[in-house]
Amino acid sequence: MIEKLYAVHVAALILFLVSNAFPFLTFEVLGNSSQATFSTAIQYLYEEGDYLLAVAVLMTTLVVPFSRIVIFLLLFAPLHHGRVPRFAPHLLKTLEDITPWGMLDVFLVGVLVSIVKLVKMGTIIPGISLWSFAALILILAYGESIFESHPIWERIEKAQHKGQVKTFRRLRS
Amino acid sequence: MRAINRNLGCCPTCRQLVTFPPKKGGEVAAYCPRCGSEVHLRKSHSLQNTLALVIASIIFYIPANLLPMMHVQTFAGTESDTIMSGVIYFMETGSYLIGSVIFIASILVPVLKILILLYLIHTVRHHKAAKPKERQKLYLLTEVIGRWSMVDVYVVSIMLALVHFGGLTEIRAGGGAVFFLLVVILTMLAAMSFDPRLIWDTAKEQHA
Repeated sequence: MIEKLYAVHVAALILFLVSNAFPFLTFEVLGNSSQATFSTAIQYLYEEGDYLLAVAVLMTTLVVPFSRIVIFLLLFAPLHHGRVPRFAPHLLKTLEDITPWGMLDVFLVGVLVSIVKLVKMGTIIPGISLWSFAALILILAYGESIFESHPIWERIEKAQHKGQVKTFRRLRS
Repeated sequence: MRAINRNLGCCPTCRQLVTFPPKKGGEVAAYCPRCGSEVHLRKSHSLQNTLALVIASIIFYIPANLLPMMHVQTFAGTESDTIMSGVIYFMETGSYLIGSVIFIASILVPVLKILILLYLIHTVRHHKAAKPKERQKLYLLTEVIGRWSMVDVYVVSIMLALVHFGGLTEIRAGGGAVFFLLVVILTMLAAMSFDPRLIWDTAKEQHA
């Protein structure tokens, strides 16, 4: 499981960066075209003054999913090499706390609905980022399906007994 | 025999069993030695918190449906779309699949979630013992389906990003989108603050 999850999240990090770096969709009507990247929506929402919507979309589609990938890597890269990272309990706890707020899969459905909605009004041209994003969702879903936190917690506990890993107690008195 | 009678609690994060100091009452908190999370024998004020959040989401659900989700501005004028008018549009133009996705995600799921949570609060508060397994499943359902309501918020934001032709043709988010977002967040928080162990407490009490 550890090897697979490590591999999955290395791939996910690459796909996530690609998804954010290239055009997502282009929409053309009567010779006018408008191109959007992954974060264009957040930018426009912010400019229009819809701060709450902007923050919600930013958190659920960028910050939380990206943090999850990074936390997975920070945890599983050392675990793969047989070490339990010193802040493993904090990382795994944070991971479990933020999980419900990562909504990339829901966002993908939103993309599909929008495409169907817009296709009648003009031409939709999918960008590189749309494909990498779809691949990202698939690979993350696979990662989610094989992830089990219990064995990780057991390894953390063993490392805590040896004094290699911090416990949480000092942080929260 | 229940864990609470033995002063044992399960850590909500890492599932570690935590022994509580022998003390009466359900308000005791301890910290999990493994991951540091606060462990409660039962979440304190779970019913009050859940009920408060559910009531807030019911209130916000009204403007979420009445106010437009988005304004579509073209050279012909400005058109406003509510959740329901969007569903009707898809149904009339023959996109039944998309129409039902939006209907399920934006109308059915939030209403179902609110009703399930109200039902669970009601049964726990009145010490109903019947069908704990089924109620547990209902609770799990609310946790799983909750996030999918965000679809409509995303649709608005994606449409707004793509239909952006500098003033002439533009889509702007309406007030309904903000309220709808709040409904989604509040119902998610409500489901999280409900303690499903309460279902089993009342179930067991009556058998004892």
